[in-house]
Amino acid sequence: MTNIIVLVKQVPDTNAKIIVNNGRVDLSAVKMVMSPYDEFAVETALRHKEAVGGEVTALTVGGPATEKILKDAKAIGVDRIVRIESSENMDSNALQTVLAKAVQDLGATAVYCGKSAADTGAGSTGPGLAERLGWASVSNIISATFSDAISAVAPGSGGNVKLNVPLPAVISCDKGDSKVRKPNVKGIMQAKKATVEVHSIEGPASSVTVIDQSLPPAKPAGKSYQGGAAAAEVAQLLRDEANVL
Amino acid sequence: MEPFEGLDFYDIESLLTEEEIMIRDMVREWVDEAVIPKIEQACEDGVFYDEWRVALGEMGVLGAPLKGYGCPGLSYVAYGLICQELERGDSGLRSFASVQGSLAMYPIWDFGTEEQKEKYLPKMASGEWVGCFGLTEPDYGSNPGDMVTKAEDMGDHYLLNGAKMWITNGTIAQVAVVWAKLDGVIRGFIVEKGDEGFSAPEMKGKHSLKASVTSELVFQDCKIPKDRMLPGVKGLRGPFSCLNNARYGISWGVLGSAMACFHSAKTYSLSRIQFDHPIASYQLIQNKLAWMLREITKGQLLAYHLGKKKDDGTWIPEQISLAKMNNVDIALEIARVSRDIHGANGILDEYPVMRHMANLESVKTYEGTHDIHNLILGRYITGIQAFTRNA
Repeated sequence: MTNIIVLVKQVPDTNAKIIVNNGRVDLSAVKMVMSPYDEFAVETALRHKEAVGGEVTALTVGGPATEKILKDAKAIGVDRIVRIESSENMDSNALQTVLAKAVQDLGATAVYCGKSAADTGAGSTGPGLAERLGWASVSNIISATFSDAISAVAPGSGGNVKLNVPLPAVISCDKGDSKVRKPNVKGIMQAKKATVEVHSIEGPASSVTVIDQSLPPAKPAGKSYQGGAAAAEVAQLLRDEANVL
Repeated sequence: MEPFEGLDFYDIESLLTEEEIMIRDMVREWVDEAVIPKIEQACEDGVFYDEWRVALGEMGVLGAPLKGYGCPGLSYVAYGLICQELERGDSGLRSFASVQGSLAMYPIWDFGTEEQKEKYLPKMASGEWVGCFGLTEPDYGSNPGDMVTKAEDMGDHYLLNGAKMWITNGTIAQVAVVWAKLDGVIRGFIVEKGDEGFSAPEMKGKHSLKASVTSELVFQDCKIPKDRMLPGVKGLRGPFSCLNNARYGISWGVLGSAMACFHSAKTYSLSRIQFDHPIASYQLIQNKLAWMLREITKGQLLAYHLGKKKDDGTWIPEQISLAKMNNVDIALEIARVSRDIHGANGILDEYPVMRHMANLESVKTYEGTHDIHNLILGRYITGIQAFTRNA
């Protein structure tokens, strides 16, 4: 049976207003959601299962609050939901080591993840996990077809590249052409009844630590122009500053 | 406009179950993606898009509180939240779902035979078949007990004669639950599209609920088989049972309209500069916004508590009257005040407020007018009915 794992991460809603208190982001009042690129990963994992059979497991690392996104994944069709309890604030090395152990414990022939998380934007999890597992690695795919191997399309120089990916592999997903499926009431009711499997895995100590967090500089105030005489200047600014022409 | 993130000043979300929150968010996201970008065009064209029927069926929200026969058996609070999110999109959308679930599916579920339930409910829950509800007549609105539509027992079939008016979904419905007098007693009948002598012309020219189909139902020697009568109820209790559920849904639904109008007013007033400052910085505007928040919050608590009473079966119809009447009343006034805050921009379809305002004029009237609900409460308080001088 094909075991497929999809990695999902809980991040602040991309519309949320972020507040920083004493050098730390305060997420206490922020709505948390599944990282948007992970939704494409879940969709791809479900399509993989529909093509070849097997089982899809959604996996996340974090505290009990992260179970919401596992339930969200369950509501749209994954079979198992697993949360790894581990130390907080891990660096990429520690996290990828924990994930590699979890994938080995659960057993899988394909692992999908988003191309990057909406909070850090690092994009290191997929390749880093593949490296630790010694598996093939493909990043940023936008579509795929499935058999004994995976035929995936990813952006390349000047266009798209079609790739043959042998299994096992770790594949990170970009926004593709295919529509991401949405939950329905039946799925939500199944998710409510579903049990989250919780495992504890200790990772290596993190060597990279966060010293301070701050907001990006505020955007400068907008400029307004009136009358036809300003047209030349506006056109120049659109071309040279805004880079939209 | 910045995306809608809900309005929950009193943290009512903490009272909701995980399932209720997930269902609300599912409908909220769908309305944001599939309804709001298209609703103004739908109103302009006077159509209810068929893709909305399909999506509502796929989401599984039609007949939400009913259990079995393809229905999920959700809590009444979950049903209320569905109504709230749909009506945040448009009252026409919520009307479609209310009529389908509370007025057409519910009487079949509660008063129908096993065969009727098996035949109609799964297809109506999936959205494959649309239902409508025929009670109001051209001359009998608040006074349905005097309806003139009648059924005659012809031995091997019933013969229906009469006309119904203001029927949501009528023209697009495959199934009509029609109330008619058989030997002077009100009974429910299931009429199907294509039945001999039955037609459902659409009513045109509305300035309200434009993205909703409103129809007449005409029965001219309409022949229906004997197994199409609902055996489980006689008299006005039948239609009034349905209306209780639909009115309950409205008490939540209109909060969605009110939230949309509040959200638009807040966003607009923070960006609209007059006399060098955002108009949101002026006391008169803040007073209006504070009043809106106050009324929406009270309405939410009313709807939530009524939902819990619906779920544990301790409600009385007068409580539904109060919630429907109050919440429609404040939603309509919030829409008007929101339009005022938007100034001239408030009349444009760039903002949702005028559409909600026009819709709510209908919602104030249908499913028991504002005044009729006052009379229901007046009778409850005094023990004296004031509907008619004939009693």
